[in-house]
Amino acid sequence: MSTDITLTVNGESYPLSVDAHASLLQTVRSQVGLTGSKEGCDDSECGACMMLIDGRPVNSCSYLAVQADGAEITTVEGLAEGPELSTLQRTFLEKGGVQCGFCTPGMLVSATALLRDNPAPSDDEIRIALSGNLCRCTGYDGIVAAVAAAAEQG
Amino acid sequence: MTVTEDRPGTFIRPDGKEKVTGLGRYTADIDLTGQAHAAFRFADHPHARITRIDTRAARAIPGVYAVVTHEDVPENLYGGMIQDRLLFAKDTVRWEGDVVAGVAARTQAIAREAAAAIEVEYDVLPALPDFVANAEPGAPLVHPDWSSYDGDEDMGREGNVVGHSTIVKGDADAAMATADVVVTSRFVADASQGAPIEPRAILAQWNGDRVTVWTSTQVPFAARDGVAHTLGIPQSHVRVIVPLLGGGFGSKCDFHFEAHVASLAQAAGRPVKLVFSRREEFLAPDHRREGMVLEFETGATKDGHLVARRATLHLDKGAYTGEGGFFAQMAAMHACGPYELDNVAVRAMLTYSTNQPSSSIRAPTAPQACWALEQHMDQVAGALDMDPVELRRRTLIRQGSHGPTGQVFDEIGMLDTLEAAAEMIGYGQELPDDEAIGVACGWWPSMASPSGAYVKLNGDGTGTIVTGAQECGTGAVMALPILAAEQLGMRPDDFSILYQDTDAGPWDMGASGSQTTFNNGRAVVAAAQEVRAQLLQLAAEKLEIDPADLELVDGSVRAVGAPSTSVTIADLAGTGTPLLGKGSGDLPENPPTDIPSACVGRLGLDSFLAPQLITHAARVKVDRETGVVRVLAFAAAHDSGVIVNKIGADGQVYGGVMMGIGQALSEATYFDEEGRQRNPGLLDYKLQTASDGPRIDVRWIEVDTPNAGPKGSKGVGEPPSVPTSGAIGNAIAKVVGRHVTQLPMTAERVWTTLQGQEDEQ
Repeated sequence: MSTDITLTVNGESYPLSVDAHASLLQTVRSQVGLTGSKEGCDDSECGACMMLIDGRPVNSCSYLAVQADGAEITTVEGLAEGPELSTLQRTFLEKGGVQCGFCTPGMLVSATALLRDNPAPSDDEIRIALSGNLCRCTGYDGIVAAVAAAAEQG
Repeated sequence: MTVTEDRPGTFIRPDGKEKVTGLGRYTADIDLTGQAHAAFRFADHPHARITRIDTRAARAIPGVYAVVTHEDVPENLYGGMIQDRLLFAKDTVRWEGDVVAGVAARTQAIAREAAAAIEVEYDVLPALPDFVANAEPGAPLVHPDWSSYDGDEDMGREGNVVGHSTIVKGDADAAMATADVVVTSRFVADASQGAPIEPRAILAQWNGDRVTVWTSTQVPFAARDGVAHTLGIPQSHVRVIVPLLGGGFGSKCDFHFEAHVASLAQAAGRPVKLVFSRREEFLAPDHRREGMVLEFETGATKDGHLVARRATLHLDKGAYTGEGGFFAQMAAMHACGPYELDNVAVRAMLTYSTNQPSSSIRAPTAPQACWALEQHMDQVAGALDMDPVELRRRTLIRQGSHGPTGQVFDEIGMLDTLEAAAEMIGYGQELPDDEAIGVACGWWPSMASPSGAYVKLNGDGTGTIVTGAQECGTGAVMALPILAAEQLGMRPDDFSILYQDTDAGPWDMGASGSQTTFNNGRAVVAAAQEVRAQLLQLAAEKLEIDPADLELVDGSVRAVGAPSTSVTIADLAGTGTPLLGKGSGDLPENPPTDIPSACVGRLGLDSFLAPQLITHAARVKVDRETGVVRVLAFAAAHDSGVIVNKIGADGQVYGGVMMGIGQALSEATYFDEEGRQRNPGLLDYKLQTASDGPRIDVRWIEVDTPNAGPKGSKGVGEPPSVPTSGAIGNAIAKVVGRHVTQLPMTAERVWTTLQGQEDEQ
């Protein structure tokens, strides 16, 4: 059974008809057409699907699209400021926080939420804030350094 | 010998911007018009004879376009080192991930429903999960027809034993009798997984009798060759393209499911896409780290000289061989380790079971063997009442050493890594009694493989590298432009790269064996040197100067000593004269050995070309109440030769060490009595998180290595996982008072070891 909803993703409004059981992740990837958010587990274990829903970081694989009706959603595609990378996107590249890049969208969303709530986190606070986002490539060192550098640059 | 400092001007990875903006496409992100979705029917029992497959009910489901079984594809056995497998099981299933049938349907949900609706009947056979028992003569056979299979003749196959390798040198029995102390140890390592964050995806589309396959593979040419072989079509009819690849760690090496999906696309008459669930990513790939049982006996003199080593190793191959048939010899080398040894008797057996097949995961066999050997070495040090670092100082290989197979070593930084790691971690410092520092050493070969590349210049003076190399987060996209740019006096970011497309680049082994910079780097340098010669010739004609008096600097060709006499590369390239080079370079040869030719299972690994040498040191804290171990500090000192791209190399160490910490403390695939995985999910297969890990300190001991890769480089990617668990194990043992003999060293196992110690008191 389909339900009509409106998702606002990265400032654009999308009127959609979705199955009641469709996840927000599936809907944004297949109907909105933004594939930056990744499916790594479909079970809230890896964090690669993380989006901001009304500013709150959420694993979108485990969130129904119908629950997000009317919400403001930010995905990794919404983090850049026009053609300019956000500070975090830039420091992730400069500090070796990106290798295969599959966890990167979720990491960036998670880190964006962290720095908004805590503009000057300690390394431990960064590590705890990102502990819902699994990375297999970087050992997290480059990512933690990138978030710390972004915090320093404001 | 130098130690790398931060170098200015490190350039940003060329695939970085698309990755941080989310605009880059991984395989699962690509859709084709009209595509169908695939699902597999996996074996319903780990070991059974198939008596009937009936697909009629599945085909009758609306939205099902095709169902494919063994009847629909050629009966071509395949496998990298032994051809022992069919795409779709015909008579027998040998593990729970054997594919019995595939379905293509309008939606993934319909495909899964139809896969479940296929009727498969079996005669269930006893599971054979015990790889040690399976190695006994007369054990029931996993492959009764093993002797009819084509495969490498040097593996020492017999019955269930796929690979049998021995290293026999000197007289271990006689020498053991002369030792002041003899230490014996037994260790057991559980299986583990590569566990990339991207579950694999494959998309296949036919154009007439040719197929294009987009796939998340580390080895596009092996995937192409596998499709061609199993479907019985020419390699020129198969094009494999790898979009961005979301990690592999070995698990996406080898040919896996590309032909299954291609056969479905052919039968369905439309593009077909397969995307694995996380559960399938655990269960279905014939690739995981092998379980091992390891027994060591070492004799030493009071002054810390190793007089003899005996060892017996059993490795679990699982149901099929794939490209992992070399594991017995690799494990035998790691049972010796990077030590001076004159008397050796090592035997390793790689044995079939009805478990998930094991195959290359980052430094296959080495982390487990090193974990066991390095703990055993600490036990030897304990028996000698000698500091473990001092024992290693006296016994590790150095320039001129004769290794365990008689390889004589050129200049190497083994001892320097030991001293560096000890200094970095603060070895010898006073610590609380629930903390300790452990040290472990390891090695890994650089792998010489043919490879090729083209370099061409564009009209504006930029360049393009066309290569068969594969990037999976490893840094090839940085190292290759750096090497080309150095030859041509250009900047790395002047280059684009066309890669991961088998119709474009020359054959390459892929993102495996720590080999991309080592081999494809050599090819890129050779190709760039051809372009360099062409540029110099063109400039010589234009400037009327002998080419020998010209140099390439900052995008120009200029006269040596008269920089104002110059012409830009853009001017030379913009005339339309093709500036195009191709290269492969000269393959370095493995160093000679002196072990007797009677040793079996020799597959070319008895000497280590341009050996990568590592010492890791860990400071850990053990909670005596719970057995929980936390790594507080970690030092990694590596000799990987000259470092070509520091940010990429550092990243390999950070990631490899964290993978090693996971394998030390939390990561294992547990099989039930029938060989079914008990924990195929990320909640129960515990990867380390950002908050688990310590900051990792990295130091490079740069040795300009002869007979090696570009600029005296060695491989980088695999060694960072090798001695990690050994260092942690030795640290735990110092707190606990004895070694934990099972890997991973989970809280439960540490706690049990603590209780055992208390029981003895």
